[in-house]
Amino acid sequence: MGRLRTSAAVVAAAVLLAAGGCGGDSGSLPGNGASGGNDVDAIDQILADAPVAPDSAIPAGTLMASIKQRGTMNVGGTDAGPVFSIRDPVTGKLTGFDADLSMMLAKYIIGKPSTKLSITTVDTREAMLQNGTVDAVFATYTITPGRAEKVDFAGPYYSSGDAIMVQKDNTTITEVGDLNGKNVATEGNSTAAEAIKKFAPGATVTLFQDDASCVAAVRQGRVDAYVLDQGILLGDATKVPDVKVVGQPFTTEPYGIGVPKQNPEMKAFVNTWLQQIESSGLWNRLYAATVGKVVTGTSPKPPAIGGVPGT
Amino acid sequence: MRYLPDLLGGLVVTLELTVLSFLGALVLGTLLGVARVSPVRSLRAFGAAYVGALRNVPLLVLLVLFVFGLPDVGVTYSLFTSAVICLALYAAAFVCETVRSGIRTVPLGQAEAARSIGLTFGQALRHVILPQAFRAMVQPLANVFIGVVLGTSLVAAVGVADLTNRGSALTLRYDEPLIVFAWATAFYVVITLGSGVLAGRLERAVRINR
Repeated sequence: MGRLRTSAAVVAAAVLLAAGGCGGDSGSLPGNGASGGNDVDAIDQILADAPVAPDSAIPAGTLMASIKQRGTMNVGGTDAGPVFSIRDPVTGKLTGFDADLSMMLAKYIIGKPSTKLSITTVDTREAMLQNGTVDAVFATYTITPGRAEKVDFAGPYYSSGDAIMVQKDNTTITEVGDLNGKNVATEGNSTAAEAIKKFAPGATVTLFQDDASCVAAVRQGRVDAYVLDQGILLGDATKVPDVKVVGQPFTTEPYGIGVPKQNPEMKAFVNTWLQQIESSGLWNRLYAATVGKVVTGTSPKPPAIGGVPGT
Repeated sequence: MRYLPDLLGGLVVTLELTVLSFLGALVLGTLLGVARVSPVRSLRAFGAAYVGALRNVPLLVLLVLFVFGLPDVGVTYSLFTSAVICLALYAAAFVCETVRSGIRTVPLGQAEAARSIGLTFGQALRHVILPQAFRAMVQPLANVFIGVVLGTSLVAAVGVADLTNRGSALTLRYDEPLIVFAWATAFYVVITLGSGVLAGRLERAVRINR
């Protein structure tokens, strides 16, 4: 019995030590990597500098007014998307390009960055906006004309593109044409599946539920490649050592902020806010603290608001 | 309907998964059920341990372990094969318990009578106990079958192109999740209701009117 207690105490101590190490050390420990490489200190400063809307911009009876009265904004998104919206398991803090944009919008409306996250998927995003469960969706949400028939899109606020992930020692796949005749994985809730069919009609597409499953499928050789938005793949590649991202993006994925169609004032309001944070340089600072940590070489210039079909 | 070709392709995969894994579960589950009532202590313990281990883990967790865990220890089956094996192993635990309770419905006197006329344990089981026990198992086995049908939808998460997985793919193409999943629901209901009706018929056909 005595020996059992001792070993239990040793295990408990080891767990505590490991947890302490993750939080305190700024090296390459898991706690740090779990923020997806996002620069948490810079983000805090950006949120502190983010603007607040004047009362005149929020007329009574609008969706913005009811969010302000509620004191928190209901946001649809994810907490498992590297770089864009990921929860640090140690601190419980949600960071990322999407997550922090949503907090900046919440601050603009309410005066403080108070959001309540509901997890959305491709099957539920439009419905949750239509039935009022969420006020806005920030979820690497590609603007398409089909989706724009059901919800309004503010933005685009970022333009991404699909890239290719392969095993580190793979030399046969360097661009999208090489995917013909290969097994290619993608997330079951992404527009990438259609893009693969268009650019590499000879590829066999396998849909997995989430990003982690797709990466595992590549690592274990179940598939030859994994196609998804470049920023997300690069975020994965920083955490998983035996994979790499090849080639340049072969599609254009304009990300929009989904807002309810039944509140048309919201779209114009969000666009005004977006314009403001882009011209004040906050957009570039947030980009540098999140996406810019993994995407190199592309110029961080925000896309023209309203510049794509569906906006 | 523009959705139908893809959904029917998914339906075929769902049916293949269901039939193969249910047959596997019937064979394995019956063996396990017999082990649980056998006179051999280690067999009884093995059966109990198997049921305890498999029945108490969520199927989705089991599928993820099978598909993504096994390759890490050097065993890689195709996604479809992994899914069939996993579903069969999982459902076998439920079949085992059904078989065990079915055997318990046969009065002990039957077993005693069979043994006293010189039949071995195996002969008594095969010729006297199991034929009577299976009558009581028809409806519970139909429940297990329906569980397998609905359980197959979880394989969508690990990349097997079943009805649910194809439904997700169609949602991406046409942005009509509610319509696509309404169709998928209809297909699932047809399979499960159909199997319920068949089970009812089978039960009446094998019933003894005492």
